Amino acid sequence: MSNVVVLDNGGGLCKAGIGGDRDPSAVVPNCLGRPSSSKKWLVADQLQACEDLTSVSLRRPFDRGYLINPDLEKEIWDRIFRSLLRVDPTASSLLLVEPLFNLPSIQRSTDELVFEDFGFRSLYVADSPSLVHLYEASHRPDGLISRAQCSLVVDCGFSFTHAAPVLQNFTINYAVKRLDLGGKALTNYLKELVSYRSINVMDETFLIDDVKEKLCFVSLNVPRDLQIARRPGKDNLFRCTYVLPDGVEHMKGYVKDLDEAQRYLTLPDEAWFPSQGMKDGCAEVPEKPEDRKRIDLTKNEFNLTNERFLVPEMIFRPADLGMNQAGLAECIVRAVNSCHPHLHPVLYESIILTGGSTLFPRFAQRLEKELRPLVPDDYHVQITTQEDPILGVWRGGSLLASSPDFEAMCVTKSEYEELGSARCRRRFFH
Amino acid sequence: MEDEASGLFRRTSTRTRKVAAKMVAALASSDNRTQAALARLEALENDNAGIETIEINDDDEASLDEDEAYMKRQSKNTKRKTRQAKALENAKKAPRTFLELLQEANLESLPSHVPSYLKAAVGPPSCTSRRNFCTVCGYTANYTCVRCGVRFCSCRCQNIHNDTRCLKFVT
Ligand SMILES: [Zn+2]
Ligand SMILES: [Zn+2]
Repeated sequence: MSNVVVLDNGGGLCKAGIGGDRDPSAVVPNCLGRPSSSKKWLVADQLQACEDLTSVSLRRPFDRGYLINPDLEKEIWDRIFRSLLRVDPTASSLLLVEPLFNLPSIQRSTDELVFEDFGFRSLYVADSPSLVHLYEASHRPDGLISRAQCSLVVDCGFSFTHAAPVLQNFTINYAVKRLDLGGKALTNYLKELVSYRSINVMDETFLIDDVKEKLCFVSLNVPRDLQIARRPGKDNLFRCTYVLPDGVEHMKGYVKDLDEAQRYLTLPDEAWFPSQGMKDGCAEVPEKPEDRKRIDLTKNEFNLTNERFLVPEMIFRPADLGMNQAGLAECIVRAVNSCHPHLHPVLYESIILTGGSTLFPRFAQRLEKELRPLVPDDYHVQITTQEDPILGVWRGGSLLASSPDFEAMCVTKSEYEELGSARCRRRFFH
Repeated sequence: MEDEASGLFRRTSTRTRKVAAKMVAALASSDNRTQAALARLEALENDNAGIETIEINDDDEASLDEDEAYMKRQSKNTKRKTRQAKALENAKKAPRTFLELLQEANLESLPSHVPSYLKAAVGPPSCTSRRNFCTVCGYTANYTCVRCGVRFCSCRCQNIHNDTRCLKFVT
């Protein structure tokens, strides 16, 4: 039996492995990078292995979530297939996860890459919502998602966020809604804030990704948290310090006193306000800019306070940043409303969160809080986060690739050569 | 010590940056506020926000060696090309942006019932009210800069804004 290579080719990360396995064997950045210390461009996992990632120049094959540079992608895939997975493409099938609404010209160049450059035997193209649904339905055979055979998949990834209703393993294309915000924009926004307020990190994508992943969270009450964030001293639950790498002792940046930085998570809500009879926002000493600057410059570190929650806040209110787009809750409501009314109650009850940007603490609670007032009172709102929002799509793909009728769903190399890209593509989507 | 540390974040010399399409539109606009707002959003999609030497068609000293090696592999006997000829050649190979590909796909011409990238866009929010946060300190902001449209919360923050950031995205 031949291998099926399962490849969730995301704009930020490539998740690649063999169909039937529980987890992908490679999760690597989908880009080339050149650290300031190097003359060579490093590919995918070589970047992860690189000790000094300060001031890395990046080249990504993706732009706004779509594959625009197949030549660059070829270098990355080559590295993944040959060095990391060690498979022979000419003896393998490929299950490729592509973004929704891919353009025909991009599909064509992708097919060329798959069949002509790598010579795969056959190809199946899947979209992420249907794979997430498949995975969740098969892992909870008694759950609602499985019984009703439908769900609403919210995929908040690197380049954008989709709210996609899925019915009987097919994404209901005409109902999908997209918000043009994802992890990349959040990282860039955080870079901008830190660079302006503390220290220039505009070139430090990997570093700020780390800051974002370790320190950002979703606020459940923005005005309250803004107040907390400008308290002096210990009462400020959010102030924390991130230390930049010094290139000698520390090759990676780190959070100074991580427990302290995360204590907001363990405290009950009431404790957020000290009991000295202080009420919401009055009698407070606002933070002075000098407080902020009181950091050890020789150590190259910076403080964060309200940035920690104002960054993920973008996903819920893009309008705050001047984007003329509805936030995530409305995005979901619009996707649901584009479906048959019979489906509405079930969809609200089977919302699945996936994608790396849903990993911020309190993401699901906030979403529910925003969604509840927009949903009819007699409907339940039930939001589940995938066990691993970064690998969930791949795991669904792995499941599909190991199903008995998988080969029959594929387009073979000879079919591609005979019919061409456009006609072969019609097979994948209803 | 401080010198060494700041060296980590030192820039190479500044060179012409490849200007994105929206940026061009923004610069053509006479309205400073629109310019600033558009440019700010555009910056969120940058891969190398602060590094000015990234695109293949840049005149990037550091990548010259590689480019030259590549050229040599491509055509053994040609003499070293002029910078201009090189730039031209690179421009031809340079991939098009997604927005260019999108335009080419001409999705507007599809019948109205066909789902597409354009139709999937979530659209504007139903409530247009916008919360304003001070760009200097992040706190709730009640004032707007008359020149660039950015928000600030206090005199102190206004002064910092005027000194450092006002019209940063415009000029
Ligand atoms: Zn302020
Ligand atoms: Zn201004």
